Amino acid sequence: MNSWPRTLTCSLVLIAATGAMGKLFAGQAAHSTSNAPASPVTFNRDIAPIIFHSCSTCHHPGEAGPFPLLTYSDVKKHARQIADVTQARTMPPWLPQPQELKFADELRLTDKQLDLIQRWVAQGALEGDATDLPPQPKFTQGWRLGRPDLILTAQKPLILPPEGTDTYWNFVFPLSIGQTRWMKAIEIHPGDKRYVHHANILVDRSGSSRQREIQPGAGFAGMEIRIESQVFDPDSHLLFWKPGTVPYLEPDGMALRLDKGTDLILNTHMQPSGKPEVIQPSIGLYFTPQPATKFPMLLQLENDVKLDIPPGQRDFLVTDQFTLPIDVDLLAIYPHAHYLGKDIQASATLPDGTRKTLIHIPLWNLNWQAVYRYADPVFLPKGTTVALRYVYDNSADNPLNPNNPPVRVKSGNRSSDEMCHLWLQVLPVNFNPAQGDPRMILQEALARHNIEKDPADFEAHYNLAAVLQAANKLDDAMREYEAALRIRPNDAAANNAMGAALLASGQPSKAVAYLSQAAKTRPDYFDAVYNLGNALAAQDDFAGAAEQFRLALQLQPDDADAEANLGSALAEMGRYSEAKTHFEHALQLNPNNSLAKENLQELQRATNK
Amino acid sequence: MLFVCLLAPELALSQHTALDLDGKPANPFDAATGKIVVLVFLRRDCPVSSRYAPVIQQISAQHERDASFWLVFPDKAETPQTIRQYLRDYAYHLPALRDPEHALVKLAQVQITPEVAVFSRNHQLLYDGRIDNWYFDLGRSRPAPTTHELADAIRAALADETPAANQVRGVGCYISDLQ
Repeated sequence: MNSWPRTLTCSLVLIAATGAMGKLFAGQAAHSTSNAPASPVTFNRDIAPIIFHSCSTCHHPGEAGPFPLLTYSDVKKHARQIADVTQARTMPPWLPQPQELKFADELRLTDKQLDLIQRWVAQGALEGDATDLPPQPKFTQGWRLGRPDLILTAQKPLILPPEGTDTYWNFVFPLSIGQTRWMKAIEIHPGDKRYVHHANILVDRSGSSRQREIQPGAGFAGMEIRIESQVFDPDSHLLFWKPGTVPYLEPDGMALRLDKGTDLILNTHMQPSGKPEVIQPSIGLYFTPQPATKFPMLLQLENDVKLDIPPGQRDFLVTDQFTLPIDVDLLAIYPHAHYLGKDIQASATLPDGTRKTLIHIPLWNLNWQAVYRYADPVFLPKGTTVALRYVYDNSADNPLNPNNPPVRVKSGNRSSDEMCHLWLQVLPVNFNPAQGDPRMILQEALARHNIEKDPADFEAHYNLAAVLQAANKLDDAMREYEAALRIRPNDAAANNAMGAALLASGQPSKAVAYLSQAAKTRPDYFDAVYNLGNALAAQDDFAGAAEQFRLALQLQPDDADAEANLGSALAEMGRYSEAKTHFEHALQLNPNNSLAKENLQELQRATNK
Repeated sequence: MLFVCLLAPELALSQHTALDLDGKPANPFDAATGKIVVLVFLRRDCPVSSRYAPVIQQISAQHERDASFWLVFPDKAETPQTIRQYLRDYAYHLPALRDPEHALVKLAQVQITPEVAVFSRNHQLLYDGRIDNWYFDLGRSRPAPTTHELADAIRAALADETPAANQVRGVGCYISDLQ
């Protein structure tokens, strides 16, 4: 018989939190332009081009706008309202101030355009000469990028109640793919676009979100959700929808890997309409045969630990800054705060002292939060310090304050809590592949930075441990897992990871205690049960091991490794006939399973003697 | 006593008339002898109007016996069919009127949808304006209103008193855009 197999599932868990939500906009005076036309402003000549370009995309049937803006009659019926909301820059919704670094698809009207609209309304909203009217824009119905390779629809719709506070709901989309696919684009149809304010897709490679559904397919409530992911596999893409979002193709080489068994979670923010609404989102996925060659990463700045805002305070400042350990291209930025957020800024200070504004939103609005992609990648060399500076208003004068009268507010996942998050999508550049994955350098530096800010940050210790374990620095990794477990002693993922690290370092008896705890906390946690089987086997407790592998197979009946290990445990107990069945089944599941293959051959040799 | 509204309802309605959903001229004051009258101005294409549906239903249900509530649609493009469908969609149990010539708009002195007008038992205009301060700007609403002008005005009208405020402009869609 072969020596005992050392096939382990080492589960490294990275935890990402994401969020959803917003506020609105400040008025800004328009300036008259000196080259204004002397003749009266008309819809056909002057206004239609502005409306068609900047308004009709959302204001046409089937889209988010509550009324169409496609014809003179449509626009005339809202003329004064349009003059007001454009002047206040409430519409079109575009929160950032103008800045040197340009964003793609900027939706900001020029001062000249604002002036034209004001004068048009003041002059009586004239229609003008029909020959001046540009052609009405054409909009693609259905899927904008053509028929997707895979369309997934939420199994159960959500009935949005007619009244009450905003609703935050998560729809779980199990991916019906038999093998790893590379996604080059996604189109999100969030249900009725008039009532869904925005939606985020999170990639759940661990099945952890599924477990939160009361019934399979029913989804679950929650504004902010955490996703566990196995192995070092940091989040890489900002998959976001808001009204007016146009789906786009990822740049060459930057497709997103999706594995069999992965779930996509659509985190939505909805506002009641006055009547019950049926919300049943669907998503369309577009694949490419080309695996990714470029691996961006989401870098999260945050300082939730500093969010402890006294009632009545109107200018509560929170900052965070992080110095990049490698060269990166900044591709996109996603600021996030809740209802007390007021002034949101992020900047980069380059090693030569140059300071660039990455984004500045002077009047934050959760309802119009968005991912902002830069028109061109922004090169940030190693040594650049990226910083966030958020100001919160917890006074009674903030009409969005969820508490009346104001109360002390800390960080948290509910909409009445606050958040101080900033995601940067960065692509490591100018690195030497021989020196390893540059994202791990980034992740390690970020985790150490977070621990410095908050020694009680469970996720930071966990993420640091995961990076160290991936770099095979097992002793350092275990020290960090222990630190994480001092904060959350019963956390299943941390106990499992610690157990796996102990097992990998040849300490099975210690591993059993951690893995047992993990399996006790979450009996449906395949990795913990499987690893516990391995740890018991390593102590020659083959009966105990077999029991765990059987439990593991109840959780994942098509796992060839668990089958092979069960066969091996049974063989160790002399139950060759049963062992043979399991080796054979393992090979049915995966004809290349070397453990099953070798052990089956060994078994046949032994029984032929 | 100074009347807030200088036009008598009968005079205004004799020139231009609101219409019921059967297309017949209708005066919301005719069948409201001794009752206060509340006119609620709505536009179907105004999302703020629509979001108020449950609130309007609740307030009207509370005063079913002593107040006569009417929904008024000032958009002349509306038809009885589109309004009936809207009432079904939003579960309204209130009578509705079309006001294509803005007779009631002028009488009530409203400018925005949604706005309301509260008339005394003698059918004098006591209050016109917003329902409450839920919205403080277009697209921006409080988690819950902190002032309740319509409820206050109804309470005052039922007590034969003058409301604390007789006019507070609302947030929503301009009725004048419909002209």
